[in-house]
Amino acid sequence: MALHVPRALTAAIVSFALAQPALAHEQAGVAGGLVSGLLHPVTGIDHLIAMVAVGIWGAQLGAPAIWILPITFPLVMAVGGVLGVLHVPLPMPEVMIAVSAVILGVAVAARLRLPFPAAALVVAIFAIFHGHAHGAELPRAANALAYGVGFVTATGLLHLFGIAIGALTRWPFGERVIQGLGAGIAGVGCYFLAQGLGAVA
Amino acid sequence: MGVLEFREVRPGAFVGRWSIEPSIGASRVDLRMPPHCFLRLPEMNCGEKGLVGPITISNLGSNMSVVLIKVIPIEGEPRSYTISTANPVVSVLGTGAPTLEAWVELAKTYVNYGIDHILLGADHLLFVLGLIWIVGGGWRLVKTITAFTIGHSASLAAAAFGLIGVPERPLNACIALSIAFIGVEIVKQQRGETGLTARYPWIVAFTFGLVHGIGFAGALAGLGLERRLLPAALLFFNVGVEIGQLAFVLLVLALIWAHRRLDAVVPRWGEAVPAYLIGSVSMFWFFGRLARVFAAI
Amino acid sequence: MKLKPVRVLMAVAILLTGTSAADAHVVAARLGDFYMGASHPLTDLQDVVLWIATGVLAGTLGASKGRWLIPVFPIGLLVGLSLAPVFGTVSTQLADATMMLAIGMLLAAAAQVPTLVLCAIAFAVAVIRGAANGAELGPETDRLLFAAGLACVGYGVVTLTMALTVVFKRTSDSVTSWRAIAVRALGGWIGAIGLMMASLVLAS
Repeated sequence: MALHVPRALTAAIVSFALAQPALAHEQAGVAGGLVSGLLHPVTGIDHLIAMVAVGIWGAQLGAPAIWILPITFPLVMAVGGVLGVLHVPLPMPEVMIAVSAVILGVAVAARLRLPFPAAALVVAIFAIFHGHAHGAELPRAANALAYGVGFVTATGLLHLFGIAIGALTRWPFGERVIQGLGAGIAGVGCYFLAQGLGAVA
Repeated sequence: MGVLEFREVRPGAFVGRWSIEPSIGASRVDLRMPPHCFLRLPEMNCGEKGLVGPITISNLGSNMSVVLIKVIPIEGEPRSYTISTANPVVSVLGTGAPTLEAWVELAKTYVNYGIDHILLGADHLLFVLGLIWIVGGGWRLVKTITAFTIGHSASLAAAAFGLIGVPERPLNACIALSIAFIGVEIVKQQRGETGLTARYPWIVAFTFGLVHGIGFAGALAGLGLERRLLPAALLFFNVGVEIGQLAFVLLVLALIWAHRRLDAVVPRWGEAVPAYLIGSVSMFWFFGRLARVFAAI
Repeated sequence: MKLKPVRVLMAVAILLTGTSAADAHVVAARLGDFYMGASHPLTDLQDVVLWIATGVLAGTLGASKGRWLIPVFPIGLLVGLSLAPVFGTVSTQLADATMMLAIGMLLAAAAQVPTLVLCAIAFAVAVIRGAANGAELGPETDRLLFAAGLACVGYGVVTLTMALTVVFKRTSDSVTSWRAIAVRALGGWIGAIGLMMASLVLAS
């Protein structure tokens, strides 16, 4: 059951994105900024799965992580976004984003229980890389505030979506589903990693 | 003020000219005829459908407030339509039976007009506010507001059909006085006396609703409506007034609820302030309007 | 029963946003300058985000602190509006972003802001936004009516937001209850939006 939901969501998002390509790329102003901000985090599959994985992992880790992550994650990501907008270079962003998907996927699949500060550090580093990528690709014409609102909302919702999936850990069957999902995320991450490394080499 | 005359020369074809030029110059009026009409003054061609649909002037403002459009068809009575800042769109229904499109257009125009009218009628809104203040929320308020609605709908209809005629200026003074009455009732209630409004709010609301309704009719009177359209226009106008009034009541109730939640109610020493404020404003209006009554005599 | 006023509020909000979706200048032509003042901020994302952030912050601190904003916020708007000619057309974007970041961080940290600081923050937001709203006024607008409309809508939005927040996050809730977390997460989001916006303004 849980597998159908993300597929349906992805389908909905993709159809929405396809239906309004002009909006996402051409239109300036508030509406344009809002739409491109909303779509930006969900159109790249590597970003999307990593965001969801963070949510799931946070839910698996339980008590402090499950509530500290939603509060701080968008902020840390926005810090990365600032670096991206100001064109502060980070090493190998594409590879790092793919690596983050792999590591987070593995962590979910293996139910890796790191102590909270270590987990937070891992997530923070990845969040900065993701935010950086989004900031660097930012459309100049868009309304700054509208883009920010759309971007943060989309990221936050993906994160919440991950937490909602992670809530399945309460049942043994749900635990299996989540581990499968984690393995899937790691697999997709590997694909992007290979692509990224190929591009580098 | 400008007057634009369209005379039908062949079915669907009109010759238009400004019989009174607007102050900003005829060429600067942004006149839009229904989309199927081709307009290049002095000629206008609407084809088989004839002149049916919305006429809009979008750039009315402080320097030009009203344009009157007269349509003189080959057959039938000449009709005139008023386009004003408050009502920048009018619907022309043509001589034949009105189509569905025309009805929708009429509904849009008059519902909007009703909403505008109530939202701009500070005196009506102040009266409703006073009623809410006395009655409080809940079932009693629903009954009171319903009574007010029935009252003003009845007299609005009666006045619009010409069954009753009340001169506008004394009426406006009466409306101001009705609000002062509510202010007095609030003070009475705060002193622990049971006023008429507190005991029978619906009777007071209905009676003053009658007075306010005649006031609403004054707004419709200046529009040069065709008689056959009057019932429909009246209905839509009334719907608009109710929508505006309901929005206002909901907003006031929401704010009262918010104040209770925040424990930010009027302190004891200031309890009478709103009532006296309502009273002073309404008496200010009353004397101003009374002066206009005597000025007219 | 408790949900009822919330539903009413939502209906009002939908009604208000529905009518304000049209350009504020169209409203002015139809309903005059009072309603233009009342609808102008509702069509501006900067106002909507900042005002709601301010209301939520005040609401989380509890009714006894928050209710000071009922007079402070509209007065701030009026002060800002009267200062608008001084500021001219200077962009307030950076100031907006800074305020968003500050309020967002305070919310996310669930900081116990003293009443005086809260009032100062709200006053600052109101002055900035009042000036920004005044900057777009044409010479033919009746400033008195516009100011009255602006103050009314400022009072309404902040009061309703505070009350809704007080109802949503009760003071008896523990720090880790989902309601408290939801409000803090909202703060994190607002802070992030402010940060993004600041960087975009600086970069452009």
